[in-house]
Amino acid sequence: MIPMFIGISIIVFLLMYAAGDPLQIIVRGNPRILQNPAFLESIKAYYGLDKSLPEQYLRWLWNFLNLNLGNSVYGGRPVNLLVGAWFWETVKLQLVALAFSLALSIYAGILSARKQYSKTDTAVTTISIFGISMPVFWFGIILILFFSFTLGWLPSSGAYGATRVWPSLKPVAEATSAELLVDHVLHLVLPSLVLTYANLALYVRIIRSNMLEVLRQDYILAARASGLPERKVLYSHAFRNVLSPLVTLVGLYFAGIVAGAPITETVFSWPGLGRFYVQATLGLDFPVIMGITMIIVVMTLVANIVADLAYAVVDPRVRIE
Amino acid sequence: MTVTIEKRRSASQWAVAWRRFKRSKVGLIGLFIVGVYAFIGIFAPFIARYEPGSVQPLFEGEARQPPNLRHPFGTTSEGRDVFSDAVWGTIAAFYVGLGATGISMAMALVIGLAAGYFGRRIDDALMRFTEVFLVLPFLLIILVLSRILALAVGAGLGLTIIVLILGIFGWAGNARLIRGEVLRIRELEFIQAERCLGASSSRIVFRHILPNVLPLTIVVSSLLIATNILVEAAISFLGFGDPNTVTWGQLLNIGFVNIVGEWWTEISVGLMLLLCVLGFNLLGDGLSDALNPRLRE
Repeated sequence: MIPMFIGISIIVFLLMYAAGDPLQIIVRGNPRILQNPAFLESIKAYYGLDKSLPEQYLRWLWNFLNLNLGNSVYGGRPVNLLVGAWFWETVKLQLVALAFSLALSIYAGILSARKQYSKTDTAVTTISIFGISMPVFWFGIILILFFSFTLGWLPSSGAYGATRVWPSLKPVAEATSAELLVDHVLHLVLPSLVLTYANLALYVRIIRSNMLEVLRQDYILAARASGLPERKVLYSHAFRNVLSPLVTLVGLYFAGIVAGAPITETVFSWPGLGRFYVQATLGLDFPVIMGITMIIVVMTLVANIVADLAYAVVDPRVRIE
Repeated sequence: MTVTIEKRRSASQWAVAWRRFKRSKVGLIGLFIVGVYAFIGIFAPFIARYEPGSVQPLFEGEARQPPNLRHPFGTTSEGRDVFSDAVWGTIAAFYVGLGATGISMAMALVIGLAAGYFGRRIDDALMRFTEVFLVLPFLLIILVLSRILALAVGAGLGLTIIVLILGIFGWAGNARLIRGEVLRIRELEFIQAERCLGASSSRIVFRHILPNVLPLTIVVSSLLIATNILVEAAISFLGFGDPNTVTWGQLLNIGFVNIVGEWWTEISVGLMLLLCVLGFNLLGDGLSDALNPRLRE
């Protein structure tokens, strides 16, 4: 895991280095810097650009281990501060989506597998194949068009009312904390709906196909023959065997939770890390890109380990060496 | 009395698969949709009334029109005929989908076969290498790379940059799948028999293992084409694509910017993209039913 981390961080670091000189971006933002060589030097020192490449990398690594992600090229604010500000909004959105999509997909997947080729099954599979075939952002735009612009029921962008709270349209300054909460929850509805559908479509397919395979096994026949109620057969005997692939998926999901959903967040102007990342990439803000990418890599590595441990919990046949 | 002896070959693996595929309604629908899109792409110059990205309707005083007979998908406020551009976008989508998938699957096959067949050290090394690509956050790296390469190489390479990036970063999961399949096939009796007969490694790999891995490869290729088309649309939508090629993602971006009062661009292009991806996904499902009999009763 540690060699992996170092390897990937070097690759990403070299990529950033190959992309160009961050100094140019800073100078473009304030050309007068060039007239003052002493100031230019101090800026170089501030970003560590006066050092050699290996030295820059080691400096970055040391700072990263000390939980310091460096400073943004735009305005020089610490990346930690910026990431911290966006982090919880993203996690909130993702957890809501994950909870709903898991609950719904487990229910629908089992239902659909139990009655293969029934009308319910056809409906579930159709909904899920449309879900994996449509661009997530497009679904979001259609929802905005319908629920925000046409019906006017829900806010179309942001996480909080900027000047007025939804739906009473009271000025934010005069709103009570309950009204602020309602406002926030209403902002959450559309983006989490989009993410829920996107995850749901994928999860249902996997749960259904695994369930179909499990339901054909002899031990299910044995469980049924011994007169267990169908609920018990499905949920405690069959579903247990579908948990392993599900753990893999959820593990991957947790790894990507920080990455957020760059596109969905952009469409809904959600003030989260994903949208922030897209903007940083457009502006080539290297410390921000590098910082967020490596946080995700670390989370992926950790999630892999946690998933391996979780396998042993859900499947007693798996032994951890 | 003469007896005519009919020489009959037993049905090949592919003939059996095709017979099974014909029975899958889902697969046939997918094949039909993909066929229609291939037709649109090939005959785009005859179907599209306007040049790609041209603002001709503007000069004809027909900008920002809702769908009508002359402009089935309407026109944008910049005076682009959405139908023509959506037709041209089909070519870009196929180029990205097929091109990137071709690169990815070639890499996945080489790495999966080598790792699975030779095992041990080679397997270990290749799988570590694969894991690096699995751990890298796919979409984010692709955004960064397309931005960097677009600046470094300029717009000269156009969409090819996107094809290369998607191809080079999209193989890891499939390489793992193929490796698993190779591991299974390698232990089957007929491979052992072949080895006892003194066949060389290359003969075993290319004449015996490869044909047995192909069904899986074909199924995942079809699904990967769908994914690549979607990812390219997302990249272009965010403004990281090639600005000089007309793509669906780019049109979706234009449609989103002008969504108020100009809903037709977003809806028509989105449906066009959705149907195309759906076609490849259905085709993949159908192929999977036909080629992997183990998954079906």
